[in-house]
Amino acid sequence: MKRWWIRPLVRLFAALALPLAVPGVITMFIWALPGDPASIICPPQICSGTAALAAKWGLDQGPWHFYSQWVASALQGDFGSSWRMQPGFPVAELLADSVPRTAALVALAFIPLLLGAIGSATRIIPKQVDVVLSAVGLTPAVVLSLLAAAWVTLTYGAMAYDPEAMRVKLLLGALVLGLADAALSGAVVGVRGITESERTQRYVQMAILRGEGELSNALPNILPALAGQMRARLLGLLSGAVIVEVIIRIDGLGDLIWQGTLTQDFAVVLAAAFGFALLSSLMLVLQALVEVGVALHVRKSPRVMA
Amino acid sequence: MDKIFSRRVLGVLAVLAFMLLFVPGLFAPEHLADGASFEPWLGFGSEGAPLGTDRSGHPLHRYAMQGAAVVAGPSLIAGLVVMAFGVMGGLLACAGWPRLEAAVQGLGELIGALPRMVVILVVALLLPKDARSLTPIALTWALLSAPGAMDEAASVAGRLGGTRFVEALRAHGFSGFRIYLVHVVGMNLRPVLVRQGVDTLVQVVFLEIGLSYLAVQDSEPSFTHGDSTRSWADLLYMGYGYFLEVPSGHALVLGLGLVGIVALFGVLVNRAARAR
Repeated sequence: MKRWWIRPLVRLFAALALPLAVPGVITMFIWALPGDPASIICPPQICSGTAALAAKWGLDQGPWHFYSQWVASALQGDFGSSWRMQPGFPVAELLADSVPRTAALVALAFIPLLLGAIGSATRIIPKQVDVVLSAVGLTPAVVLSLLAAAWVTLTYGAMAYDPEAMRVKLLLGALVLGLADAALSGAVVGVRGITESERTQRYVQMAILRGEGELSNALPNILPALAGQMRARLLGLLSGAVIVEVIIRIDGLGDLIWQGTLTQDFAVVLAAAFGFALLSSLMLVLQALVEVGVALHVRKSPRVMA
Repeated sequence: MDKIFSRRVLGVLAVLAFMLLFVPGLFAPEHLADGASFEPWLGFGSEGAPLGTDRSGHPLHRYAMQGAAVVAGPSLIAGLVVMAFGVMGGLLACAGWPRLEAAVQGLGELIGALPRMVVILVVALLLPKDARSLTPIALTWALLSAPGAMDEAASVAGRLGGTRFVEALRAHGFSGFRIYLVHVVGMNLRPVLVRQGVDTLVQVVFLEIGLSYLAVQDSEPSFTHGDSTRSWADLLYMGYGYFLEVPSGHALVLGLGLVGIVALFGVLVNRAARAR
């Protein structure tokens, strides 16, 4: 308890390290593959100018040079150009197009999770509902996405890329993401488990005898655990966004990393993974801030009633 | 309710679901087109093709068998790996090595900080084209799931008393084998380990379906199996055509049915492990 700051500090360090570690690990693996990276992308047997491409992409001077150059450029917002997906097109523009859509998708999907968590903590959502939510949550994202994609195709047909259809796709995607793979049921059941077990603690029952609120007493103690759980849910949503975006055809970060993987476009995958790492770091920072806030709050001297 | 659905009944149902899903994989044909060719788009109950056929007259039960062969081994391995990590987490909590425990927790924090699908796609990207298989992807998924399993097993061992529990049993004169493997792992961690293992198994099957579906939708080769093999995702993709007036409703029903049995298998094993 005395060293309450260690955990949030570790999270802050992890948040700083993650965006640097992810491209580092990918770079390491690119060089660990058999053959040099430029030959993998552009095999000399079928592709002329491998050496020139290697020089252009910074692959000719070893992994450290490539990594340091890439990170230095990325920190200035320059992610280079696409190698294969859309050759020569700036990756930064692809990211700028896709990140807001993924952010909107995940934010929309998070709303029911947040409401579900609040509902179960306050007992507005009865425990009997858990069975229904768990049954719905058994459905994998791919199945619900498939149904959503079918509905969009049947409803909009050739107009499936119109702004209105895109908005509907975003809403449907968020619904799928929020329901599938136990996202909502996990949030409801998980938060219920934490709050109900805290409610049985002696100090909470003493608070009730004093006429104080149950949840207001328990909340400072359970908030760090709740923050951790919500971060895990958000990570789950980000992970599921890849499948949902590709199947429902939402041009987000998940779709971008998928297309980059299919075309073996390391520049796009590096940048997209870096984007995901930044989002994960942001969540780590938020969790650390919650932990710091709670720790400072519980250490304040209690106000003595006159 | 608990009396009726005792562990034994649930266990038998789980074994049946498991056999229904994965045993056909042992007899999967190497090529889909092997043997006789049938009429296109035959429905359920057709002679020689009990689950119907695709647009080229290939029987859908061969898709189901090949799909089972794709997922069975890797998903089982992934489940066992996660269980092994869970055992390690639980034993670490009982062994009283706080520094190692803290180091493992820190590592888990870092590994768990990234969306899993992103890591999976990076692994898929780095796999050489001629080495495409579900196994490395399943193992990566297992490693990503391991910190959660270790954490949960450690917290169960902690609630048990951790090192104090071990000392108490030592005082009774029990051997290390009996304390750690029988009492800690076998009697107390079992439900958590089984649940984590089966959850990972189910997740790997769904991951394969997801990745293969994405590939088949883009008419690209899958990261999880060779070009001559079909996955359960092919059934779902074929079934999707039903919404566009293709006569493939039977493929959709079969694909969704397989997904349902996988989910049911997970539920049954979880309940069997918890049942007393």
